[in-house]
Amino acid sequence: MLVSEKKKQQSPILKILSLITYKKTSRPRSFVLPEQNEGQEGGDNSQNYQAPEGRGNEETQSEGKKRTKTLRKPLSPSQVKSGRRDVNEVKNDIDSNLEMIRQQFNVPQNKDLVIREFILARDKRGFIAYLDGMVDKTVINEHILRPLFDLSTSDLAGDSNSTTLALENIVETNDVKKLKNFKKVFAEILKGNTVLYVDGLDYFLACESIGFEMRSIETPKTEGVVKGSQEGFSENLRTNISLIRRIIKNKDLISEFFEIGEKSSTTCAVVYLQDLINPSILEEVRRRISSIKTDFLVSSGMLEQFIEDSPYSIIPTTLSTERPDRTASHLVEGKAAILMDGAPFAIVVPVTLNEIMHSPEDAALKWQYATSLRVIRFFAFAFAALLPGLYLALTTFHREMIPTDLLIAIAEAKENVPFPTLVEVILMELGFELIREAGIRIPGIIGNTLGIIGALILGEAAVSANIVSPVLIVIVAATGLSNFAIPNYSLAFGVRLLRFYFIIAGCFLGFYGLALALVVFVLMLVNLKSFGIPYLSIVAPRNKKSKDAVVRWPIWMQEERPDYLNTLDSRRQPEISRQWTQEDAPEPSGAGRNKDQGPAQQAPAGRNQNTGKEKESSD
Amino acid sequence: MREGHFGFLEALSLMVIVLINKIFFTSPMTLIEKLGTSAWLGTLISCLASLSFFGLLYLLMKRFNGQDLFQIFETVTGKLVGRGLIFLISLYFLYYTAINAQEFAAILKAYSLPYTPIYLIVLPLLVIAAAMTYVGLEGIARVAYVFVFPIFGGLVLILVLAFPVYDWDYLRPLFGYGLDTTIGIGLLRSSAYSEIIFLAIIINSIHGLKYFRRVGISALLICGLVFSLCCACILAAFQYPSSSEHLSGMFQLSRVIYYSRFFQRIEAIFLFIWVFASVITIAIGFYISLKAYCRAFLIKNHRPLLFSILLLTSAVCFLPRSFPEILQIHVRVIREFSFLLIYLVPILVLLVAVILRRGGTSNDKSL
Repeated sequence: MLVSEKKKQQSPILKILSLITYKKTSRPRSFVLPEQNEGQEGGDNSQNYQAPEGRGNEETQSEGKKRTKTLRKPLSPSQVKSGRRDVNEVKNDIDSNLEMIRQQFNVPQNKDLVIREFILARDKRGFIAYLDGMVDKTVINEHILRPLFDLSTSDLAGDSNSTTLALENIVETNDVKKLKNFKKVFAEILKGNTVLYVDGLDYFLACESIGFEMRSIETPKTEGVVKGSQEGFSENLRTNISLIRRIIKNKDLISEFFEIGEKSSTTCAVVYLQDLINPSILEEVRRRISSIKTDFLVSSGMLEQFIEDSPYSIIPTTLSTERPDRTASHLVEGKAAILMDGAPFAIVVPVTLNEIMHSPEDAALKWQYATSLRVIRFFAFAFAALLPGLYLALTTFHREMIPTDLLIAIAEAKENVPFPTLVEVILMELGFELIREAGIRIPGIIGNTLGIIGALILGEAAVSANIVSPVLIVIVAATGLSNFAIPNYSLAFGVRLLRFYFIIAGCFLGFYGLALALVVFVLMLVNLKSFGIPYLSIVAPRNKKSKDAVVRWPIWMQEERPDYLNTLDSRRQPEISRQWTQEDAPEPSGAGRNKDQGPAQQAPAGRNQNTGKEKESSD
Repeated sequence: MREGHFGFLEALSLMVIVLINKIFFTSPMTLIEKLGTSAWLGTLISCLASLSFFGLLYLLMKRFNGQDLFQIFETVTGKLVGRGLIFLISLYFLYYTAINAQEFAAILKAYSLPYTPIYLIVLPLLVIAAAMTYVGLEGIARVAYVFVFPIFGGLVLILVLAFPVYDWDYLRPLFGYGLDTTIGIGLLRSSAYSEIIFLAIIINSIHGLKYFRRVGISALLICGLVFSLCCACILAAFQYPSSSEHLSGMFQLSRVIYYSRFFQRIEAIFLFIWVFASVITIAIGFYISLKAYCRAFLIKNHRPLLFSILLLTSAVCFLPRSFPEILQIHVRVIREFSFLLIYLVPILVLLVAVILRRGGTSNDKSL
């Protein structure tokens, strides 16, 4: 019977009741992605659709139940791999090996893999395989194929072993590896190398032929300096490591490689100085990186999130830098740097808050300049986090603190503004964040222009429209500037969020709220750790006095590496690093003229002062 | 319980902050009310008396080297009595935390946040103290070390900036209502330094007896001198009749700072240091109370109990019906009579240990 006919036969009472009783609605079946092998087992595509809950049909419900029973837990990529038959061993039969490569790379569906088959002398079949676009074709043509085709019959005489020996010597690439395992063969192809196989052999030859397009070395984008190196990392891992090696020419500089990502197989390198780094820290870095199980990893930011100690902290516990010189300076402190293929950043671990607040330029500047800049930076940190909150607390709870003239000026400016101060502050802060975000997203010079124009126009318009008071514009601008003075992007981001936390604290309880919020913030900081190192090291816990904390002592006085790292060699330089201050200066070339001068004039500057370390400091 | 370890300076900071916290509240007023112009001397006498008590406490701890106070209670008096004593200490510190929080809130309301409901002042304070307890003793000590500099900096700033209003003649007569009164009240108020017992409870976190003695003596001496100096400055600024009416002498002192029309009424900025000191004091009180409770009932993990103890502390906090009641009964109990529990119980335990020949003297040559 049709539904409309049924309705007609219902009594009026039932009709009224139907208006207030719950009715199950029939919905179209929704698509459900089938689990592994589900489609094959069922052989019916309709099983991909799951009946919606509450369908009236009993039969469909039972089918649904059945399907629920057959649903399996999704298999992880590693489980899927282990389920397959062992295919890793290279066969000594060209057809099997060819088939394996075709199958694994989905040829002919996958157009990137190039397989070039050929016949050598004595009718020996062979092939090379590589990924198009990842290789330098000149290397393949000139140094792999040409030597092979130039072979004479006598070159390939003998048993299979001698053939191999000959092949290794024939191929003219600088790096050749024998691979008996297909996993490694695939990895080499994916890296951009070319694999060569000749019938009868039980392994492949991987010939180095990487030659894809990459960005050249450019100036760092986010860590620019006036005095110092102008080189930044690029996306190529090898180039990045070489940039570090160019700075640290040391045989103990080790780079260990790890593959992360089941799908992306991203290569990561842990770089460290073996004779310096604390082995426990190194072991922890290895442990964390090698235990990452994910399918895709493309940026160092993603890696940071996988290895950081406190994922819920809004303050970063690793240092991300795009400068090879900065990375190198941390390596010689006894830390580890993690580089990733495809990411122009190095992650330095472990780090402390103090180090994150340092700028790469600090070491290049005279200690007086560097120290004053650091003090400014720490003030900037405090201003960026606290200034709007303080303003709010002052104007809401502690007006007596504001000098009368200023209070009158603020009150006059605020007279026509209809919003409470909190709304004003939030509006302006959000506006500022909006301009900043838009400025970053809009490409090139327009972005910068938009930032300045947007801020000017928006601020001016907001004041004219009596939406905010002019004092607040000053506060927000000072806060924004302070935020830009924080030398680390992630930390600056964290402070941007912290600002709202302090705004709310100041708004509800004034200075009392701010003080409580500060206690919580410090509590969080003292409990943070970066690879086992307390984040506030030097201060809490207190370590041996550092000469490179907020005050940067002269570079020749920094004899020791940071105490908290417990490096294998804690001494950076001898107690008297400026040995020249202990020696007599050579006789000036015009000796005859000096005879006329007094003894005080003859003595070179600083010579009389340097009998000990204390004397050195008086220079 | 998560206790962790920390060094000499962290322990010293923690103890100094806890001992000195009361200077920001009603303690100077009460002292001046009772001793007149010799309040500064009275607190020095209290400090010396506390040092003597601390010496006895040290003897007890030395006799049972490697054990904390709670373990000693159990070793000497047996499990039942020992745990009873530990439970008593837990209750006392719960009361101590609640009353301190209430005193802080009342003063803050009187001076700075007159329109804010008292529960809005107390509850965030207790919640943050609970959060610090959740993190553990090591976290509290490190927070204390970070904040000891602004606290002391602020204190020195107040004392120095108020210098123009001092009239040192106001300190006469030097012995106030008489030397006997000064000594008597000074001895009675040695309870104001009773927080030194925390050291005996957390001794295993501060590397044992060596730091225990150094931290204890240093903290008592520093606090005694600072307390005395502050009392003297308050007296010199306001004379004793007015000083005995100011709820918070230090707050009043910061209020009179005047250098120009621009640099005046800056007392609100010093709220920060009071809050830092109070939060740390209340957090450590909360922690000790919880630790004692867990020890008394053999509970290994303190974290599930946090909420219950927080609730209980809040309830105790709101028991007093008025500010005079807090001042005249509860604060008085803590600052004048707590020595009966805090000092006398360990001394009795020491006597029992000597009589029953329990424990032995330490052979630690480093002491």
